Amino acid sequence: MTATATTPGPRRARIIGKKAVLPWLFLAPGLLLALVFKFLPMGKGVWLSFFEVRPFLGDKWVGLDNYTRVLTDHRFQDAIGHTLLLGVGMSLGGIVVGSALALLLEGQARSLKIIRTAVFLPVVTATAVVGEMWRLMYYPTSDGLINSGLGLLGLGPVPYLDNPDTALWATMAMGIWMLAPYNMVIILAGLAGVDRSLYEAAAMDGVSLRQRLRHITLPAIRPALGIVLTLAAIRGLRVFTEVYVLTGGGPAGSTDVWMTRAYTLGFTRNDIGGASAASVVLLCVTLLLTVTVNYLRKRGDVR
Amino acid sequence: MRDRRRCIAMRLRRVRRLTASLAVSGLLFGTAACGSGSGSARADDPNTLEVWTRSDPESAKTYDRVFAAFTEKTGIKVDFQPVMNFDQQLQSRASVKDLPDVMINDTALMGSYQAQGLLKAVTPASISGHAEITAKSWSSTVGLDGKHYGIPYSRQAMTLFVRKDWREKLGLPQPRTWQDTLALAKAFATRDPDGDGKKDTYGMVVPGSAQNGYVAWWGASYLWQGGVQILRKQGSGYRPAMDSAAAVRTVTWMKKNLFCGDNGVIQPSALTSVTANTTNFQDGNAGMYLTGPYNISTFDKALGKDKYEVLPAPSGPAGNNDVLADGENIYFGARTGKAKQEQALAAFLVSPEGQELAMTGDHQPVVRIPVNSTLDAAKVRHDSRWSVVQKAYETASVQFPNAPDFAPVKQDTADALNAIFTYCGSDVRAGLKELNDTLAGDLKDQELLK
Repeated sequence: MTATATTPGPRRARIIGKKAVLPWLFLAPGLLLALVFKFLPMGKGVWLSFFEVRPFLGDKWVGLDNYTRVLTDHRFQDAIGHTLLLGVGMSLGGIVVGSALALLLEGQARSLKIIRTAVFLPVVTATAVVGEMWRLMYYPTSDGLINSGLGLLGLGPVPYLDNPDTALWATMAMGIWMLAPYNMVIILAGLAGVDRSLYEAAAMDGVSLRQRLRHITLPAIRPALGIVLTLAAIRGLRVFTEVYVLTGGGPAGSTDVWMTRAYTLGFTRNDIGGASAASVVLLCVTLLLTVTVNYLRKRGDVR
Repeated sequence: MRDRRRCIAMRLRRVRRLTASLAVSGLLFGTAACGSGSGSARADDPNTLEVWTRSDPESAKTYDRVFAAFTEKTGIKVDFQPVMNFDQQLQSRASVKDLPDVMINDTALMGSYQAQGLLKAVTPASISGHAEITAKSWSSTVGLDGKHYGIPYSRQAMTLFVRKDWREKLGLPQPRTWQDTLALAKAFATRDPDGDGKKDTYGMVVPGSAQNGYVAWWGASYLWQGGVQILRKQGSGYRPAMDSAAAVRTVTWMKKNLFCGDNGVIQPSALTSVTANTTNFQDGNAGMYLTGPYNISTFDKALGKDKYEVLPAPSGPAGNNDVLADGENIYFGARTGKAKQEQALAAFLVSPEGQELAMTGDHQPVVRIPVNSTLDAAKVRHDSRWSVVQKAYETASVQFPNAPDFAPVKQDTADALNAIFTYCGSDVRAGLKELNDTLAGDLKDQELLK
């Protein structure tokens, strides 16, 4: 703003003022919505996490009790393990399958466009619907879609969701199925930016497919992968609907994740303070993870 | 101009409510789903009651009829809001201290609501026609301090639904004991009762997920028939009783015979099933279902009246056939200042006229067993099957304790039972001992442990 101060005449100052204000004006509706629907509730949630919430009897200050309770509860501790496993598995699986799909479906042909649209469908389908559909597919008798397939090979039937040893992996498979097409689109966008002449030069030099992927494709789509990783880190931790619809956290809590526990605490046991504390912990971990991923990404870009 | 000011005030109120809704669930979901929580113009009118019920669109149509009749009779308007995710929405509204005037929801939630101070105390004498409600029903609305916090509205008890055509085809009698039930379930699973030559039928349906406490809700009847109590009243407090010999015996029987026994006694995927996705009975591939009578209309439509029968639950080893009874109460939201209108609505809802309206019609009825003792469910509906349900409620039913906050107790019991039934090799006694300790913790949190 020093420029404004040294500029003679009010006209120039007004223009700069306008220029400075204009972007904010455009941003205002979005910011206002974010404030009302996101940041104020978030702030209130942080505030509530220090209380035993009893709206009509007066909230009781309990300090860090809710946090201690949540962090020492063995079911929450188990849920952390499940969340991390599910988050990492779904993120990595989603990236690997998404990349594979992107490489397979890259190109201009019209048929590819149709296939890409078909492959993208899981992303636009409501998670609850996907969950119900996969429940049917996983049906633990030979009537289930997947088990009838196994039956043709003389295997199964496998009780995917009813066995605590397989339930989490079955949930992960569904998560990857939902995430991969989303990643595919971002990676496809990254692939579109690859300089074709590099491929031609590589072909002339007799470079193998693997080397081409490693030395040309991968560096070119690194920014896209960075975005996908950041999104995956956030989404992986807040996984909820998939689990809630598919298994409800069961059997025997084997698919309980952080969010399903927080939900149970808040809305089945009416412990809003505890649920808020659990959510704040999740918020902090997500923030930390996002910042770390971003830092690593930027460091990678600089290198 | 005044209208305009009111309109602005209302909008502000809506925004405030919405903000509060999001505040509670905001961290949980980023952006929470917000259904019909916001009020409407009429809610500010002193002659308009905002009424919430936990209803799907189908049963909401029955309530529409009931409230229309009430308005016609009294001139008091009803701003009716059927709310599917009732608990979540109610907590959101509670956080801004702006509750609906009248709520109709589960009996077992009364303790929880009262513990949060959401309810106004009710004097039974202030409700016209209070004497027509039985003492048993009134007793279920007494809070820890001895005051009433709700008015009984609808009651129900579980009964056993059995595929009559299958049973008769296999030449087996109606089950009267647990052994009969088990034998019938095995026959349904193995003797091809639907005659299609395939092994694609199951003995009974079990919503066995721990989600929302379902397995505790379904399994409670078995516990009582086995002589088990979840909590035992002791003086002015309670003690958990899930480590008793009867509990170990009963849970072991359930685990061995239903969950870990022969395949096919219960439907596959029982351990992750809630009632909404436990449709095997109406789909025609399971032969028995111990559940509430609200299913009768669904089963009539899906299977046909002649295909199944409604029976009292078979007796367990304790010699009784007690089943879980629950129902719904009318609650008055704290601090609304419309006492007269609320009392008028409650009086209408429990009157023979109000109850009959809610029990009949083309849509899902919202009163199952009437709380008004002058009515007979079977006569009102011209359907003798309802007398089985009414008898079960009156003579062989137990309710979850309503005075303490039972929600955590139910959830913890469900978590433990689901885990015990999942791991077939686990030690039942150790599992129940752990549950008992957890329940003691729940009671201690409520300062009720004796």
